Amino acid sequence: MTHLLEVENLTRQFGGLTAVNKLSFYMDQGEVVGLIGPNGAGKTTCFNMISGSMRPSMGTVRFRGEVISGLKAHQVTKRGLTRTFQVVQPFPEMSALENVMIGAFARHRSRQAAEDKAGEVLERIAMKHKATVLARDLTLLELKRLEIGKALATEPELLLLDEVAAGLTPVEIDDILALVRKLNSEGMSLLVVEHVMKVIMNLSHRIVVLNFGSKISEGTAKEIAKDPAVLDAYLGEEGYVA
Amino acid sequence: MKGRWGWVTPFVVCGLAALLPLFLSKYYLHMAVIVLMWAFLAVAWNILGGYGGLHSLGNGLFMGVGGYGAAYLVLHGGVSPWLSMVIFGVVAGVMGAFVGYLCFRYGLKGAYFALVTIAFTEAAVYVVSNWGALGASNGLSLPIAKENNLAMLQFTSEKGYFYAILALLLVLVLFTRWLAGRRFGYRLISVRENEEAAEALGVGTFATKMWAIVLSAAITAVGGVFYVTLFNYIDPRSVFGEAISVQILLYAIVGGLSTVWGPVVGAAILVPIAEIVRSSALGQKFQGAYLLTYGVILVVTMLFMPKGIVGLAHDIRRRFGGRSAAPGPPAVFPEKLETESAGKDGLAP
Repeated sequence: MTHLLEVENLTRQFGGLTAVNKLSFYMDQGEVVGLIGPNGAGKTTCFNMISGSMRPSMGTVRFRGEVISGLKAHQVTKRGLTRTFQVVQPFPEMSALENVMIGAFARHRSRQAAEDKAGEVLERIAMKHKATVLARDLTLLELKRLEIGKALATEPELLLLDEVAAGLTPVEIDDILALVRKLNSEGMSLLVVEHVMKVIMNLSHRIVVLNFGSKISEGTAKEIAKDPAVLDAYLGEEGYVA
Repeated sequence: MKGRWGWVTPFVVCGLAALLPLFLSKYYLHMAVIVLMWAFLAVAWNILGGYGGLHSLGNGLFMGVGGYGAAYLVLHGGVSPWLSMVIFGVVAGVMGAFVGYLCFRYGLKGAYFALVTIAFTEAAVYVVSNWGALGASNGLSLPIAKENNLAMLQFTSEKGYFYAILALLLVLVLFTRWLAGRRFGYRLISVRENEEAAEALGVGTFATKMWAIVLSAAITAVGGVFYVTLFNYIDPRSVFGEAISVQILLYAIVGGLSTVWGPVVGAAILVPIAEIVRSSALGQKFQGAYLLTYGVILVVTMLFMPKGIVGLAHDIRRRFGGRSAAPGPPAVFPEKLETESAGKDGLAP
């Protein structure tokens, strides 16, 4: 059986440094998989390679059985895999609605159709009342929501979330968490990179742990919390894992 | 200007402008023709520079292609400049694609892109200055018209040129409006605003930028054809020199980048100012006085309305709850300097 996403021996070198080293894992439809690891473990590099914004030095990424490594990011998006960015990346001089429309244009040719779709998405992320506000005037929480909204508008089957909780207050994190959980309950598969353990432990069906570019553990939240290799990697940061 | 009936505005504005020859003397009518010509060139520049955020400083190159091409074909074979607009529109489009490919393949933007466009235009000065068939550094002169000839775009009075360029500008404004309101326009702006995010949302950023430079180049060449039929003369420095390329962008910036009307408004204000200064006592004494005036106006614009005149109007409307049909203009100098996102090729966390 083919998995939704299969990552095989994925490797990326920057000069002499291997940021991601022969990483392999898979995801199935409807799953939420967490990708964690200490700073510099290679999580975002891995994201960049899966989403097409960076070419892998070695290895392949398969999405619904098709090899997507080597494709450009916009081609990957067309195939139903979209990412968000760790640091929000809005189009500052465009309104919230127009921001989301850019995503919607991936599926809709006409402006009217894209606008309708974007309106729907704004409703879904509870941003309808901000539709005409310029992105540069939105708060961080709103921008984080918008970031998800833009990605949703491309109608992805698999959504890659890069640290959606970073920089938010605990209350805001709950807010984003509820949104993400809702998306999953509606059938969307999610690959989540996150530093905030509360988010990852709560959300993920399975967790892949990276350290220095290699996979050191994989399993449910409970399993990895007991894994000595993981505890080792987070030594000094065990407060996070507990 | 916006909304369901927005497309009527260009017709109304051009309709009113069409009445100008009834009121203007020959001198002011000539000035109006020049305003419209610069407006046309600035609107063409705005597609790439305003909407796409790629500030070309070398549009004189494409203008020269149109101007020289049309002049040559008039002198050798009497080809109609209207036909030349099509031919050299295509030629300039191909050249634009070439310049664009070189730049965008390597992700050049901002000052680096501008420098490459300057380099190409500057190179054209020396190529054409040594090109015998194009009159080398003497340039090409067209015979002065003895009678009105619409097919050859030659008129004995200013009126003919006025209506010709007004019609061209009307078509271009309508085209820009149409372009800005559809998927391509939105995508082009998204590339300007945040290329990485656009790419992740399914925008083929390379292709989008390529189309923008091809369109901008092709339309600029059409303006170049008009230029040579108006002045009946073209030489390397007059089109490939840096002055032209800078002027074009000045009108767009002062008027308002990535707005349909901004470049038109900019040209309508700045060109007459330049003429007035040039003919004033000060202008007689100091040759470059009008350039100095332009400099002052540019600084004042930057300081008090970085989005240009029309951009300011957009902002005011937005503040009062108006809704725009297309995304608004950018500030010429965004508050945040554009820096490559650190994670891209460095060590990503």
